[in-house]
Amino acid sequence: MIQNVLEVKNLVKNYGSYRAVNNISFNVERGKIVGLLGPNGAGKTTTIQMLLGITLHNGGEIRYFGKEFTKYREESLQRISFASSFNTLQGRINVMENLMVFAGLYKVKNAGSKIFELAEYFEISTLLKQKYWDLSEGQKSRVNLIKALLNDPELILLDEPTASLDPDIADKTLSFIENLNRKNSVSILYTSHNMNEVTRICDEVIFLDMGEIVARDTPLGLTKRIVESNLILTFDGERKKVENYLNEKKYKFSFPKPYTVNIEVEEKLIPKIIFQLGETGIWITDIEVKKPTLEDVFLDIARKGKNVAK
Amino acid sequence: MYFWILPGKEKMSLSRFRAILLEELYVTRHSLEVIMDIVFFPVMNVLVFGFIAQFLIGSTKSNAGNALLAGMILWQIVYIVQYSMSVSSLWNIWSRNLSNIFITPISLKEYLGAHMLSGLLKAIISFIFFGLISIYIFNFNIFNLGIINLTLFFINLTLFSWSTGIIILGVIFRFGTRIQALAWGLIFLFQPLTAALFPVRILPHILQLLAYLLPPTFVFEAARNSLAKPGVNWEMFFIAVIENIVYFMLTIAFFNYMFKKAKDTGQFARNEG
Repeated sequence: MIQNVLEVKNLVKNYGSYRAVNNISFNVERGKIVGLLGPNGAGKTTTIQMLLGITLHNGGEIRYFGKEFTKYREESLQRISFASSFNTLQGRINVMENLMVFAGLYKVKNAGSKIFELAEYFEISTLLKQKYWDLSEGQKSRVNLIKALLNDPELILLDEPTASLDPDIADKTLSFIENLNRKNSVSILYTSHNMNEVTRICDEVIFLDMGEIVARDTPLGLTKRIVESNLILTFDGERKKVENYLNEKKYKFSFPKPYTVNIEVEEKLIPKIIFQLGETGIWITDIEVKKPTLEDVFLDIARKGKNVAK
Repeated sequence: MYFWILPGKEKMSLSRFRAILLEELYVTRHSLEVIMDIVFFPVMNVLVFGFIAQFLIGSTKSNAGNALLAGMILWQIVYIVQYSMSVSSLWNIWSRNLSNIFITPISLKEYLGAHMLSGLLKAIISFIFFGLISIYIFNFNIFNLGIINLTLFFINLTLFSWSTGIIILGVIFRFGTRIQALAWGLIFLFQPLTAALFPVRILPHILQLLAYLLPPTFVFEAARNSLAKPGVNWEMFFIAVIENIVYFMLTIAFFNYMFKKAKDTGQFARNEG
């Protein structure tokens, strides 16, 4: 049986006359990683703030583990956690002290050894006695992640957790998240602007725009909604012939270089174009196919609004 | 839900309570600013007023000097408890850590309760310290007021300071750090109004009426009376306690409203930029 760790139903948030979140509904199943994406101002932050209870919603319902969040706040918050590159801990005290405070807030048993274990994994053991405000942004992000893992959460809300990490640590963090998800069935609601990351780790992606959900699918499913790929051909011969052929077939194309043409075309038509161009006597020297990525979907939504990706 | 009760049906957790106290201890230990605010400035106040008291005793041969010094020492309870209540949360807001705390299972009862206890502990330690200073430097023993008197004074001054601190905290949560100066400034409005350093009769009539609406006024009056004629003034204690209870209930109602409003407008999350 599918078990939802988070259910959001018809969630609404108004700031005066401005509707920041408009009637959104979604679920996060146990063991799934769901990406929450959208351009700036889409309503992601407000949604996360409502999910954490630090901003009140005007309508709708949030349920964690089948129980209404507002009624079971303590129980819900004990079983979930949050980490962001943008939140920081108490700067004046050291890392260990900060983590001990949060261990107390989450009633963690054997807090010291748990903190050492996590610190070792995230390679910050030597930083435990350093004041938090003396850390680099990347180090702070790792400490924030450790804080979010202290209570063995069943659902973690991660807001751009790798935003200020170097590629090596970012990769390690993603691997950790993947392992956590795989081994412990931890569910994750993940926001990021890094589409490669989202494609790599998310089972499902929800696109928000102007406070509404405008698309929801697997990363692959979303990219398939953009039917056109880019076929880039480099050729030897008369450019005029290529132009004539493409005009005749009414394809959309451009010439980024004199002997390179970029054709926007449905993937299934690519073999036909290559074959027919060859028949006209054009000698094709290089073929490149650029399939749509999640980034393209994101840009489509950000630029054209909700009608594109639906 | 009664308006004067903080929301949440959960049982208080000792672990979460202790965690907030622990953070308080860490921040206090690591911050020169906190040490300055709750140790250096109060000590300087006690010293300066101690010397003024000595001067008054020498020149007027009256009890006014001791009353002045006792008032100043007792005033430090109000200042330290209120400062602790209001400014502790500001340290977290400035560090952008407050929302991290409020997304844990901690309840408002635990959060405010821990800060109330922290303020009280700081005030007790400071009071003993100031008491010893006044004995050794000014030959004035505030402990001669007696354990009953001092306990009653502490109850009323602490209750008042908790209320003031919680009101300021509510205003900061609701309107953000742009009004943060209230956290260490507003309390000084009450120093003359509660007649901390002089008898209430010195105040203009209208201000005397106002003064008696403020519980610390009864404490300072009782302390001065007790210096002149040892004894416990239960009547003043009870009036102050009743006022305090009413104010505390209204304070919690006010705080609940401000906290809810801060979360409704998004200001609570925005406080950290």
